[in-house]
Amino acid sequence: MAAAPPAGAATGAARSGRLHVLSHARYLAGRTLREARRQPGVEITNIFIPLFFLAVSTAAIGNIAENAFGVENYLGFQLPVAVLQAVAGSSSASGIAIVTDMERGYFDKLLLTPASRWSLIIGRVAADAVRAMFFSLIMLAAALIFGSGMVAGVGGFVVILAMAGVFGAAYSGIGIFVAMRTGNAQAAQASFLLFFPLLFMAPAFAPKEVFVDWLQWVATINPVTYMMEGIRELTLGDFAAAAEVKRAALAAGVEADPAAVAAALGNGWDAERMLWAFVSLLGFGAVTLTMAVVALRRRAATG
Amino acid sequence: MSSIPDILRPAQQHQADAEIAIRADGLTKHFGDIHAVNGIDLRVRQGQIFGFLGQNGSGKTTTVRMLTTLLRPTDGEAWVGGLDVRHDAQRVRQSIGVALQEAGLDLLQTGRELLRLSARLYNVPRADIEARISYLLEVVDLAGDANRRIREYSGGMQRRLDLASALVHSPAIIFLDEPTTGLDPVSRQYLWEYIERLNKDDGVTFFLTTQYLEEADMLCDEIAILDAGRIVVQGSPRALKATVSDDVISFELGDGARQRGRAIAAVSGLPLVDSARDDGADGVAIYTKSGTTVFPTVVRALDDAGLPFNNLRLANATLDDVFLQATGSRMEPPSAAEGGGEGGGA
Repeated sequence: MAAAPPAGAATGAARSGRLHVLSHARYLAGRTLREARRQPGVEITNIFIPLFFLAVSTAAIGNIAENAFGVENYLGFQLPVAVLQAVAGSSSASGIAIVTDMERGYFDKLLLTPASRWSLIIGRVAADAVRAMFFSLIMLAAALIFGSGMVAGVGGFVVILAMAGVFGAAYSGIGIFVAMRTGNAQAAQASFLLFFPLLFMAPAFAPKEVFVDWLQWVATINPVTYMMEGIRELTLGDFAAAAEVKRAALAAGVEADPAAVAAALGNGWDAERMLWAFVSLLGFGAVTLTMAVVALRRRAATG
Repeated sequence: MSSIPDILRPAQQHQADAEIAIRADGLTKHFGDIHAVNGIDLRVRQGQIFGFLGQNGSGKTTTVRMLTTLLRPTDGEAWVGGLDVRHDAQRVRQSIGVALQEAGLDLLQTGRELLRLSARLYNVPRADIEARISYLLEVVDLAGDANRRIREYSGGMQRRLDLASALVHSPAIIFLDEPTTGLDPVSRQYLWEYIERLNKDDGVTFFLTTQYLEEADMLCDEIAILDAGRIVVQGSPRALKATVSDDVISFELGDGARQRGRAIAAVSGLPLVDSARDDGADGVAIYTKSGTTVFPTVVRALDDAGLPFNNLRLANATLDDVFLQATGSRMEPPSAAEGGGEGGGA
C-alpha cells in the first residue's frame, strides 16, 4: 500500500517549467549512452568492420603506395578512413533508435514532456559525439599499436578525437532527418549508405592530386576531404612535401638529406589545414542538424 | 522589457473560463479527405472526470492528441488549463499528464530510470525526485520490480508504469486514452480506485477515453459520445440514461432485419412503450418507464405476431442503450489484441 504523496510533490498544481534545454539534453544524452552500453553486440560492428578494412587496405595497397603516390606510411594514411567509417556507423544508428522509439510510442512520450524540441536533438547528437570519440579512440589506439605514429603528438590525438566528435554529431543529423521524415527503420538504416559516396569521392585511398579532374573537383567540395586531410596532417605531417624532397634527391642521384625530409614533413600542425577541417565539419553539421530540427518540428506539428 | 522566461508567465486565462479545465471550440482535424474530428465543442470543468466514448475510428484518440499538443488542429481552438494548445504548447505540456493508448516506454531502461528521466524532463525539483518515484512505484505496485529492465515487464506492468510516468510531475489535468484496455479485471479495478482517489483527494481533472461503458458509467461525472468525429450526446451518465428511459426490455430474433422490423411494429404501439429500436445486432430494444408492467404485454404481442424470440431480458437503461440511441449501433468491446498484454497483480 502506498503512503501519502511525499511533501513537495503535492498534486493539483502544475509546476512552472523552465527552458532547461541543456540540462534536458544532458539527461537525454545520458539515456542514449546508457542504452549503448546495454547493447554491446550492436556496437561491436562499429569497431570490427573499420579495423578489418584498415588491415586489408593497408595490406593490399601499402607496398605500392610510396611508389604510386608518395605515401610511405599507408597505415597512417588509412587511419582517417577507419575513424570516419567507425563514426558514420555509430552515428547512423541514431535514426534507427529514433524509429524504434516512435514504434514503441516512447517518442510521443518525449514530445509530451515540456522539454524543448532542441533538447531532443541536442541530447541525441551529443551522445553520438561521445560515442564517435570512443570509437575513434579505439581506431587510433589500434593504428598506433601497429605503427602509424602521430607526428603531432598527444595534442594531435586530442584534435582528431574532437574532429571525430564533430563529425559524429553532424552525421547523426542525417539519421535523425531520415527517421523524422520517414518513420521507417529500413530508411533510417539506409542513411549509412550516404557515407560511401562521401568516402569514395574523397581522397580515401590516394591523395586527391592523383584523381582525374572531375573527381578532384568533387573531392574539393566534399567536407569529408578536409577532415581526412586534417587527420593525415596530424598523423603523418606534410607527407607530400617530404616525398617531393625525396624525389628531387633521387632525380639528382643523391640520397635525400634526413634533415630536409624532416623539415618538409613538419610537426603536423598546419593551421590552415586544421581551420579548413573544422570549418567544413561545422558547415556539414550546420546543414544536417538544421535538416534534423526542421524535420522534427514538422513531425511534432503534424503528429 | 521583461526578463521573465515565457514559461514562467502566469496563464492568460479568460475570467469566464476560470472553472474550465479543458475547452474546445470547433476543434477539427482532417487528414486529407478523411475528416477525423469535425468541429467538437467541449467544456470540462476543473475536478471533473470526463469520459469520451466512441467506437474505434470515431475520433477519440485524434481529439486527445490535439488537446495534448501532439497534433495540430486543422481548425478550431482549444485551451487546456487556460492555455492555448497551439500557442502555449510547452506550458500545456508542463501542466498535463498523458497516458496514451499504447504504453510508450523505452524497454532498455529500468522502471526507475524511466521515471527518473520523466521527472527530470518535467522539471520536478531534484530534491523531490527520488521520493516521488518511490511513492509512484508503490502506488502502481512495481516497487519490487523497479530495477528490472522494462522489456522484462508483462503488458499489465508496462501499462502501470506508463501511468506512473504520466503522474510523475503531479499534473492538475490527466489525459488517459483507453487506460484499462488490455488490463485484467483486478488491475482495472485498482486503476479505477486510484483515479477516483486522485480526483477526490487532490482535485485532479481527468479526460478519459474508453470503450468500456461500465467504466464510464462508474467513474465519470460527465460523458460525451463521439460518432464519426462529432459529439452526438453529452451529459452526466444519469441524465443521459434518463433520456433513454428507465427500463429496457430486450430480446433476440434469429432471422434478419425483416423479422426485427416486424417485431418493432408489433410492440411500438403498446401502452407505456416509449420507443423500440433495432439494436444493430440480432436484437430489439424496447424503452419504457415501467418495465414490469410492459413485460407481459410485449411477450403477448410477439406471440400474437408469430415471432419466435429468445434471450428476453428486463433491465435498467444503461449507457449502452444511450450509445445505441445516439449512434444507431451498440458499442463493441475492445478485442483482446488491442490491449497489449496481460495484466499484473496490481
